[in-house]
Amino acid sequence: MNTTPIIELQDLRVRLGQQEILQGISCRLGVSGTGKAIGLLGPNGAGKSTLILTLLGFHKIFDGNARVLGLDCHSHSRDIKARIGYMPENEAFIADMTAVHFLRIMGELSGLPQRIALEKAHEVLFHVGLGEARYRTLGTYSLGMKQMAKLAQSILHGPEVLILDEPTNGLDPAARLRMLKLIREMKEEHNMNVVLCSHLLRDVEEVCDEVMILNEGHLVHQANLEEERHTNRRFIELEVTGDDGELAEALQKQGAEGVSEGNGRWRIVFPPGMELDVLWRLVARQNLAIHHLTHRRDSLEEIFLKAVGHLERSEQSHPEPPEKETAHGRL
Amino acid sequence: MAVYRRGYDRYQGPITGRLSRLLVLPKYSWRHVLQQRFVVSLLVLAMFYPLGCIGFVYLSNHVELLSDFGSGIEDFLQIDGNFFLIFMNVQGVCALVLTVVSGQKLIAPDLSNGALQLYFSRPLSRAEYVLSRLLVLLGLLSLITWIPGLLIFSLQWGMAGWKWFAQNWNLGLGVFIGSLLWILLISLIALTCWAYIRRKIMAELAILWTFFALNAVSEIVNNVLDVTWASFFNPRQVVDQIWNGLLGITPESGRAVLGCWLAVLVMTAVLLAVLRRKLRPVEVIS
Repeated sequence: MNTTPIIELQDLRVRLGQQEILQGISCRLGVSGTGKAIGLLGPNGAGKSTLILTLLGFHKIFDGNARVLGLDCHSHSRDIKARIGYMPENEAFIADMTAVHFLRIMGELSGLPQRIALEKAHEVLFHVGLGEARYRTLGTYSLGMKQMAKLAQSILHGPEVLILDEPTNGLDPAARLRMLKLIREMKEEHNMNVVLCSHLLRDVEEVCDEVMILNEGHLVHQANLEEERHTNRRFIELEVTGDDGELAEALQKQGAEGVSEGNGRWRIVFPPGMELDVLWRLVARQNLAIHHLTHRRDSLEEIFLKAVGHLERSEQSHPEPPEKETAHGRL
Repeated sequence: MAVYRRGYDRYQGPITGRLSRLLVLPKYSWRHVLQQRFVVSLLVLAMFYPLGCIGFVYLSNHVELLSDFGSGIEDFLQIDGNFFLIFMNVQGVCALVLTVVSGQKLIAPDLSNGALQLYFSRPLSRAEYVLSRLLVLLGLLSLITWIPGLLIFSLQWGMAGWKWFAQNWNLGLGVFIGSLLWILLISLIALTCWAYIRRKIMAELAILWTFFALNAVSEIVNNVLDVTWASFFNPRQVVDQIWNGLLGITPESGRAVLGCWLAVLVMTAVLLAVLRRKLRPVEVIS
């Protein structure tokens, strides 16, 4: 079974001029060939783009090691580039060239045979919704169209890993949804691994399976969002009226753990596999009326703010009950 | 063109080799350059002198046709180092003009809208990018420099026979190496100017100015300080000395040909370093 990580960093340090932008990052993200997406999050200046550009071999590694698909970014840069597709954040096109011609050249540079490059250029432009505008020069495209053209050139040659830097920048809501749909499609239907760098948490939450949060050149958090989502479903906050004296025992019989906070408030931890219906039945049997029931939900925003330190500061000024801290303790 | 499916299939077939990828940019650039009427007209004009030279070679091998002009005509119709030196000078000027007018679209558009990032995120190194852009100019300029030069040399060899070849083989080699050196130097100067100056007219003037200015500065320094070393900074003079050396003609001044080779080497290295600095996928502001 292939267990090669998509990205593997070992004490990675990158300096630009005198400034150390990435300060000793170590992690393993994703598994190649699984069609998963990795989100790269962080506030402005955290080092997200520097990390991407280092993976592409554009920045020199000062110390440590970076690998993409098991290949060293410095010594195997060419091999890595043959297997990835990159969509940069900034403008990247030739203004007086038609989209088809531009993509054809990019395809051929990626190693597609001449005829196939032309076919793929047409096919991909239709796929991203630029079919009708494919013979227009790129300089005449709107910002949204340019974003789509950048996505088209990155998937043209069928890369194993797709690196997208702020793909939804400047897109209107409809175009944003279309872009996210295309990205999801790339990973789910075409089995591409996606590395999505964005400051929009919602985009990352919608698309990614793993997330890596950078702050001031450090890795401050790494999480498997799938597991987080799964885990979150096990924590329940419940508020009932009536005599709830036997609820704790009833929950225990079902394998769940319940802690009363008084005034009918409960915090319950479900065992793996237990569904919410069980709780409904228990509460009904004990003639309790439910006022409030929620899954405790660690949103990506919450994860992010904690990771970069903002939430800690706000929590210090308004301390939460210790149980809640425990529930969030995974972070 | 067929109507294409509107789905997307991930390409998983064979990919082309390194050389094939290296020739992608030159292939499309040549096509683009040769679509410009002005460039094609200049190319045609630049062929006139070589055609004249072919006529000259023919006459020099058929002196009997000009017997009416007297016996001195034989001395005039000599195919020697001087003949090829004049050829290289004329074609060298044509090459410079063609470079100025044809190459603006080579690098500037890539830099204007950040396309370099896309090139370099593919299996194409900076050195290969420069080489592929150089190949466009070298290919184009070869058509009017060493290729007709070697054709003329071959024609003379065919007409004059092996004895002439045994005595003058260095002329063919000189034409080839000398022309290649010149077109390499002007191509590098042009690429550097286009990399730094986006406006077409300014870039064209800068290329010409480089030659005139360096010529003027070196002459002034030589005259004011009463020295000769300043000529090493003049690409035109340096290459001229090398041509003289390659064609077996005694240089007018005593400057060592080896020094001129070193000067060209240094110029080439400096130009490549300047280009390398400019042609980066991302600008780092530290």
